[in-house]
Amino acid sequence: MTDLSARPRATGQAGHWFESDPLWFKKAVFYEIHVRAFHDGNADGSGDFRGLTEKLDYLQWLGVDCIWLLPMYASPLRDGGYDIADYNAIHPDYGTMDDVRTFIETSHQRGIRVITDLVVNHTSSDHLWFQESRKGPDNPYADWYVWSDTDDLYRDARIIFVDTEASNWTFDPVRGQYYWHRFFSHQPDLNFENPEVQEALLDAMRFWLDIGLDGFRLDAVPYLYEEDGTICENLPETHAFLKRLRATVDREYPDRVLLAEANQWPEDVVEYFGDGDECHMAFHFPVMPRMFMSLRREDATPMYEILARTPAIPDNCQWGLFLRNHDELTLEMVTDEERDYMYSEYAKDPRMRLNVGIRRRLAPLLDNGRDEIELMTAIMFSLPGSPVLYYGDEIAMGDNIYLGDRDGVRTPMQWTSDRNGGFSRADFAQLYAPPLMDPVYGYQAVNVEAQLRTPTSLLRWHRRFIGLRKEHPVFGVGSYEPLRPSNHRIFAHVRRYEDDIALCVHNLARSAQAVELDLSEFEGRYPEEMFGRTRFPSIGELPYLLTLAPRGFFWFLLKAEASDDV
Amino acid sequence: MTSDLGTRLQTVGQDQLGEWLRSRRWFASKAQELNHFSVLEIHELAESTGTGDPLLCAILEARFNSGTHDLYQVLVGSEGGELIAEVEGTPLYDALADPGEAAILAHLMQRSADLGPIRFHWTGALDRVGESPQVRSMGAEQSNSSIVIDERLALKIYRRIEPGDNPELEMLRFLSENGFANIAALGGWYHYRGERMEATLGVLQEFIADGRDGWEASLEAARAGDEPFIGRLRELGEVTGDMHTVLGSDGMDQTFAPEEPAMEALGLLTATIDEEIERTFVMLHEHDERTAAIFGRGGEVRDLLQMLSHQGSGGRLIRHHGDYHLGQTLLTPRGWILLDFEGEPGRPLNERRRKRSPLRDIAGMLRSISYAGSSAQLENTEWETRARNAFLDGYLATVEPALLPAGEASIKKLLSIYELEKAVYELRYELDNRPDWVPIPVAGILRLLEAPA
Repeated sequence: MTDLSARPRATGQAGHWFESDPLWFKKAVFYEIHVRAFHDGNADGSGDFRGLTEKLDYLQWLGVDCIWLLPMYASPLRDGGYDIADYNAIHPDYGTMDDVRTFIETSHQRGIRVITDLVVNHTSSDHLWFQESRKGPDNPYADWYVWSDTDDLYRDARIIFVDTEASNWTFDPVRGQYYWHRFFSHQPDLNFENPEVQEALLDAMRFWLDIGLDGFRLDAVPYLYEEDGTICENLPETHAFLKRLRATVDREYPDRVLLAEANQWPEDVVEYFGDGDECHMAFHFPVMPRMFMSLRREDATPMYEILARTPAIPDNCQWGLFLRNHDELTLEMVTDEERDYMYSEYAKDPRMRLNVGIRRRLAPLLDNGRDEIELMTAIMFSLPGSPVLYYGDEIAMGDNIYLGDRDGVRTPMQWTSDRNGGFSRADFAQLYAPPLMDPVYGYQAVNVEAQLRTPTSLLRWHRRFIGLRKEHPVFGVGSYEPLRPSNHRIFAHVRRYEDDIALCVHNLARSAQAVELDLSEFEGRYPEEMFGRTRFPSIGELPYLLTLAPRGFFWFLLKAEASDDV
Repeated sequence: MTSDLGTRLQTVGQDQLGEWLRSRRWFASKAQELNHFSVLEIHELAESTGTGDPLLCAILEARFNSGTHDLYQVLVGSEGGELIAEVEGTPLYDALADPGEAAILAHLMQRSADLGPIRFHWTGALDRVGESPQVRSMGAEQSNSSIVIDERLALKIYRRIEPGDNPELEMLRFLSENGFANIAALGGWYHYRGERMEATLGVLQEFIADGRDGWEASLEAARAGDEPFIGRLRELGEVTGDMHTVLGSDGMDQTFAPEEPAMEALGLLTATIDEEIERTFVMLHEHDERTAAIFGRGGEVRDLLQMLSHQGSGGRLIRHHGDYHLGQTLLTPRGWILLDFEGEPGRPLNERRRKRSPLRDIAGMLRSISYAGSSAQLENTEWETRARNAFLDGYLATVEPALLPAGEASIKKLLSIYELEKAVYELRYELDNRPDWVPIPVAGILRLLEAPA
């Protein structure tokens, strides 16, 4: 008797559990996960989608709005999965496509969106396309990659993985030609001049959006096209293709997000927003090393400067902000002098360095200082953009610099003090990587279970802090107005959206500081501290005096007297 | 979209619209600072019986200073009801208050009308509604409006709409499909599926005319020290056990399949309650007599919580009532009828749909029985204790044991955790809203402090 045909659709479209909001990503807190490292659901030693699905309660409790997954596609895993061998399949270690569907649906039911990494620039050399392409110029896939008889072209393009690669060209004995690759030699660059390649990539995206994914983090986007006599980055053709990609997504899949990984200077990165018709989001790479620099120098100047150098972006776009991620802390977008300073302060052991960067997690970078971790997180949360947390940093996990490449910051998530840190029921020897076991950062000392039980833990602090940020969309959508007080140890700025005005004041010094802020514009209002809702003295004509504890910070709402009784 | 009435609705000034909306009982966002009201969508439902103006379903938006917003459903007609505004001499009414207009919704369900984004559904479980039914308003609740048709059907319209299936519809369909009889049968519903979202707009159920409100009945029984009524509470426990058994019986339906609690489930739960305790106890004042017995004892309460949480999570997680108390029950000639499966109206929809231990419902009902006992101002708490035990005994005798933690001690501990959560929530609520009721949750917290399970 019951009308079963009316049962609302259960899978597929993301819209069912969300209100349509094309700008959802501007108010979201992102959380980056390596599927292999998060939780092992079938006791084979490697994290998988079933394991991840079991941890969604944890992520919902934490307040995460959107999960970003590192690549989980079929891959020989010679570059952590960024070497994709089949866009339409997942790596068997991670489970089945049904597991992925269940994971996405379960996330959506909890109000959590999901995006994944997608590498558009290149594939693995194992990909069928490349295996065909190398067979010779008559093959249907012959033009899908960038081939040349010599290695003379594109000499001005820099080499990114300087530790492993000597050239961007590698000779293929099968085809008897050189192929172009901006990253590892086992990752040939796709030829975007070829319309078939463009269409194939669009189809790969459709495949995942149909399953219900909410978008992509587009890996290595500046390098899609090559042109002799240029550095082969940020070329106009690259932007034209991204515009086409965006138009396709907007037309066929509303409410999705494209997040560009373009490790470039701000003035170049903003090009990836187009006129609001390319990527919705792009990471702000240069601000991150300057936050670390400011902290060590106890001087806010580097942060003020890079933010001043950051152009305005279209209203429908957003910066992605992060302190640490799955890669090395990249130092490409700093001066040589700044780089030397960063190395000497944060990577004293050469083993801590990789390519042009530092391969360490947040807590070890900050000497496990609780005040420093909170301060840096607060600054990130206060800046214009959407914060991206890296799994494990919410409990101050450490790293293992004795593991190769970037694996040292991709060790198993530490859930409990039980065997394998609660990550897996497999034998220790089966684990894809050993969990941390050192006395400071090991899973017996640092784990979710213990921090859940401890009211003052960093994990519980993160939850309260994420909750606070989400109560105030001004942090996602508001203006950024630096105050630059004369005390250069203080990083102070105002965020404003309609009548919601937030004042954020951070002390970068190891010592207590006093600061006088020019708040004359807000005369008549009074600051209310956001955590404790404590009322501070009203703002008058004179400079507003605040004192801050070492590495301390205050966030205030500047409230009008009249609105007090609402 | 182009009807005269729709055009007139769009010209209502936002001040006027806001003033009207703000004074509705079901307007849930009173505490927030509002900055904008607007009519987002207008859908024609049907030709009205009178002047020819169609009945409209409008989606109204209230935007807040903080940048968030809420959406509300309003049915607008020109015949009668509560006046929203007048435009050029023509009145616009909230049509739910007008019997004739509201009955149109039942007729649309009967016809399984498909009006584009809005679709109506009819289950066939109830007798059809005639041409000119008797209709009366049942009054507004926190989040919805209900009307009674012919004294045998209840139409509930959700005012604040949120994306996703309403848990009430899901639960009623599942329970009826699985033969659970102690509910008011589902007759039909209507649903919105547009670009903005998907949402359940309203449900039509059997109206139980010969039922007695469970809260009133318990209050009276408590005052009279009524013995036989304790037997009825045991029956309520049995019915509740049956309900949970049914809700945890289908492993194939992903929406209802019981789940194993995650490793850290209990940790997440206690951490959340712990923060609530901290936030609530700082609200207490030293010289407030009502809370004197627990003032300064927040640390003790948190220690108690820690102690109770030293056990495995155990049991299974299932869909459950979610807002279970005596006021959600009716005592009828055919036994207890359970009502209102919407979940706690204050929580977001995805929270209300979450699977949790069924003991959460049990804690809710035990707290409700304590409320009844305390409200009756009993000299001794013996009736209350026996009433609680009767309900719990009845429940444990019928519920599928695999849904609960293993062993009585573990059940009691988890139950106490949920009771503590509930009592702390009540304390906050009463401090904010009903100062005279504060002593009841205080007594509940004391009970747990003094006699941990």
